[in-house]
Amino acid sequence: MTEKKNWEPKIVAFLCNWCSYAGADLAGTSRMEYPPNVRIIRVPCSGRMNPLFVIKCLMKGADGVLISGCHINDCHYSEGNFYARRRFAVLKKLLEYTGIDPRRFQMSWVSASEGDKWAKVVRELVDEIKSAGPNRLVDRQTHSAEV
Amino acid sequence: MVDELKAKVRELLKNKQVELVIGYQRAADGVSVIPCFVENEKDAELLIWDAYCVYNLSGYLKDYPGKKIGIVAKDCDLRSIVVLLQENQLKRENLFIIEMECHGVIDEKRLKYDTQNQEINFAQKCKGCPSAKLSIADCVIKDKGEKRKTPDDYDEYEPIRKMEAKAISERLKFWQEEFSRCIRCYACRQVCPMCYCPKCVAEQTQPAWFSKGTNLEGNLSWNVTRAMHLAGRCIDCGECERACPVGIPLRDINKKIQKDVQELFSYQAGLSAEAKPLFACFDKKDPDDFIK
Repeated sequence: MTEKKNWEPKIVAFLCNWCSYAGADLAGTSRMEYPPNVRIIRVPCSGRMNPLFVIKCLMKGADGVLISGCHINDCHYSEGNFYARRRFAVLKKLLEYTGIDPRRFQMSWVSASEGDKWAKVVRELVDEIKSAGPNRLVDRQTHSAEV
Repeated sequence: MVDELKAKVRELLKNKQVELVIGYQRAADGVSVIPCFVENEKDAELLIWDAYCVYNLSGYLKDYPGKKIGIVAKDCDLRSIVVLLQENQLKRENLFIIEMECHGVIDEKRLKYDTQNQEINFAQKCKGCPSAKLSIADCVIKDKGEKRKTPDDYDEYEPIRKMEAKAISERLKFWQEEFSRCIRCYACRQVCPMCYCPKCVAEQTQPAWFSKGTNLEGNLSWNVTRAMHLAGRCIDCGECERACPVGIPLRDINKKIQKDVQELFSYQAGLSAEAKPLFACFDKKDPDDFIK
C-alpha cells in the first residue's frame, strides 16, 4: 500500500473525568495549540479502562491509543489509577511481545491544572505515531494480514 | 501408589466424607487417559495413576456447587485449585484434595512421533515445574520411584527471551502466522480451569468486542485477550497448548506474562490461597516508567 499523502494519524485518547479531561479542557480554554489528531473519549476513571478497549481500538485501525488519568495519589476514587497502572504495564509488554509497536499504546498522568502538559503530551504522541506510520495491523477491507 | 489411591477413595466414599471423587481412568484404547468420576466404592477400581495423567481436572470442580468433592491432583493442578480458591470460585471445606506426588507427565504430541524412544517424553511444562511444594492437600500419596531432576541451569523463560530479542516486525510476522491458523474453536478456553466466566467476551454481541470470524482481527484480538485475562492467574498447566488442534504455542504467550508479572510485581500465581489476586490489589511502588 502506498502511503497516502498528507496522512494524519488518528489517535483515540481515553481521559479520566476528573483530571485529564479537565486538563484537556483547560488547554482548550487557555487557547493552547496542539495537534487535532486525538479523539477524546471520557471515562469515569483510568481504572475503568479495560484492556479490551485498547485492543479493539488498535484492531479497528486507530493509529494510536492514549490513556490518561490523575497522577498517582490524586485519584478521585483514591486508587483507580493504581489498578490501571498494574493492568496496563502488563498489556503494554504483551502487545510489544506480539509485535505491536509500543509507540501505539501510551499512558500519561495529566492533572486538571496541567493544560500545558496535556498539549505537550499530545504533541509528543502525534510526533511518535507519525514516525511509526499508519497502523496496518489489520486491513479494514480484507481483514488480511499486511506485514 | 495406585492401590493407596484406590483405598483412600474407597475410604472417603464409605465414610461419606465426599460424594464424588474426580480422578483418571484408562480409555478404551488402552493407552490414553480420560477423567473418571467415582461415585461408589466399586468404581474406585477404575482409578489409575501414571505419567499419562496429563489433564488438569480442577476445571470440573466448579460444576458441583455445594457438593463435597474429592479430587486427584498433581502439582500444577494444586496451583490451579489455589487460584480458584483465591478467586472465591470454590469452598475449601467442600474439597478433599488427594495430592499425587508427580514426577512429570508425558507430552502427548511428541509421543506420537516418537514411539521408538522408550524413554518418557516429559511435557515441556514439567521441566520448569516449581519445586516449592504447596501444602494445601488433605492427603499426599507418595511415589516410591526415583525423583526426576531438573538441571540447575534450566531456564524456563529461554524461549521467551529469544522471542523478545527478535525485531518487532519479526515478532509480528511470527504471531500473525501462528494466529492465522486459529480456527476459533475455543478449545483453549474450554480446557482452561481459570476460564470460568458464564459468558465469555468472545461470545458477547452487545458490544461485540471482536470479530467472530477466523480473520486476523478476530484471531489476534482473541488470543491477546485470552492471554491478558490469564495475567497473574495462569499457573502453567499447559492445557491450552495441549488442547489446541492447530498447535499454536500458547504457552509462549502465557509464560511471557508470567515472566513480566514476576519481574514487575514479584508475583507468582497459585502459591497462596490467602493472597489477593494480582489485579485486585496494587503496590504504591509499582513501576510507572512507561507512563508520561
